[in-house]
Amino acid sequence: MKYAYFPGCSIHASAKEYEMAAQAVNKQLDIEFVEIPDWNCCGSIDAVHAYNPLLSVTLAARNLALAEAMSLDIVTLCSACFFTLSRANNVLREDAAMKAKVDKALAEAGLKYSGGVKVRHYLDILTNDVGLDKIRQQVKAPLKGLKVAPYYGCLIVRPTGIQKFDDAEHPMSMDRIVGTLGAEAVYYQDKTRCCGASLVITDEDVMLEMAKSPLLTAKKAQADCLVTPCPMCHFNLDAKQKDIESRFKIDIGLPVLYITQLMGLAFGLSPKELGLHRNIVSPSKIVEKAKASSQVPTKVS
Amino acid sequence: MNKHPSNQAVCQTDPSFIEEIRKIPGGDKILDCIQCGVCAGSCHARFAMDYSPMQILKMAHLGLKQEVLSSSTIWICASCYTCASRCPRSLNIPAIMSGFKHMAMKNNVKAPIELKPKFHKAFTEIVGKYGRMHEPALQLKLTKKTSPRQLLHNASLGVRMLRKGKLNLKPSKLASTTRFSRVVEKTLKEET
Repeated sequence: MKYAYFPGCSIHASAKEYEMAAQAVNKQLDIEFVEIPDWNCCGSIDAVHAYNPLLSVTLAARNLALAEAMSLDIVTLCSACFFTLSRANNVLREDAAMKAKVDKALAEAGLKYSGGVKVRHYLDILTNDVGLDKIRQQVKAPLKGLKVAPYYGCLIVRPTGIQKFDDAEHPMSMDRIVGTLGAEAVYYQDKTRCCGASLVITDEDVMLEMAKSPLLTAKKAQADCLVTPCPMCHFNLDAKQKDIESRFKIDIGLPVLYITQLMGLAFGLSPKELGLHRNIVSPSKIVEKAKASSQVPTKVS
Repeated sequence: MNKHPSNQAVCQTDPSFIEEIRKIPGGDKILDCIQCGVCAGSCHARFAMDYSPMQILKMAHLGLKQEVLSSSTIWICASCYTCASRCPRSLNIPAIMSGFKHMAMKNNVKAPIELKPKFHKAFTEIVGKYGRMHEPALQLKLTKKTSPRQLLHNASLGVRMLRKGKLNLKPSKLASTTRFSRVVEKTLKEET
């Protein structure tokens, strides 16, 4: 299975470990990522879009054009990029006036987009192209006894006009993968609650209040960790967890793993190649649990 | 509650506001809103807003342009799409909120927090220049006129990120052969 891989800006900075683990997991699942050469920022959900909507759609369209030239569909690890690229596809199809302007801009670089590229999130690929059976076959170190709170966030399940591979109110795609890995996906009420997104920069107090909820309800459900498919959510729940704790004078201490990292642990891959040393809230307890539950010894990192 | 339009003696209404809103993507459905309140009840960020999403839509109907564009609501909306996924009339509320922000910035309507429009401008400039986001550059642009306490707070997060290799000090640049800058220039000329 081959895809035009769109990393997005976070992957090369705060979310490198998401990609590291994805590349390691891909080898086990026969997934091939061909990185789009000289890809640019997806255009942002709102940061650019509210300031200059035409530029935002043009940025997305350039990536779509590059993927079209590769004759491949796009896969992305980032929920926000998934939304933005998908939105551009819809806009270019529905708004002829905007499409005309975008076409002119792309032509300046000798690029053209005729609308043929599908945009898919990695979780969709895992669920629908790879399938749970194939994932199960790769599990060498089942995560028995591990309680995981799957945190979807917003843009992988909403709006329903953009994605159709999971339910917007009660998504289960990640829950099922967690189960396939041998772990227990706990039920808690905030699996699709907003983490605050870019408010982390523009209105931190509001973001801290918003991100507090899923962490607390997951903890109440006795989760050992959260798992997420989005770099933005990961940042707000992991990198900002210390700030949430000190702001509200509470103790959380929940590691937040990317879905690829959890899969990699269950596949028996080393914590180092899964980038687990880069997670800010230490995932060492999870790594230890994975080692203890494994049927075969995992490699020492 | 004091700021609620019904508590004000005189409100300036702008009858052309609805027509302006119709030009926003998703704004054509503005009058479909039946004021059911599902958006307001679902909104994860409503606790921080002066007006709920439902109230903003009603104010839009009434032509209260100044109140809408100077609300905190439009700047706090996190585009989580919970409202839109539940709206019985299928309004794309985040898109409308984004459109209001765009209008506010174009009309130089002062935002409740100066940092917010600054963020949109700074982000756009960096992405337009490098083709990709560069967090240190964004921090620099947003840090002017910031309090020393905020600077220290941001610095401590920066250090946390740097220690884990999660911050690139050098920006990623696209090859000049891509003619990316020409695509951006053309777009900036087109946008009215």
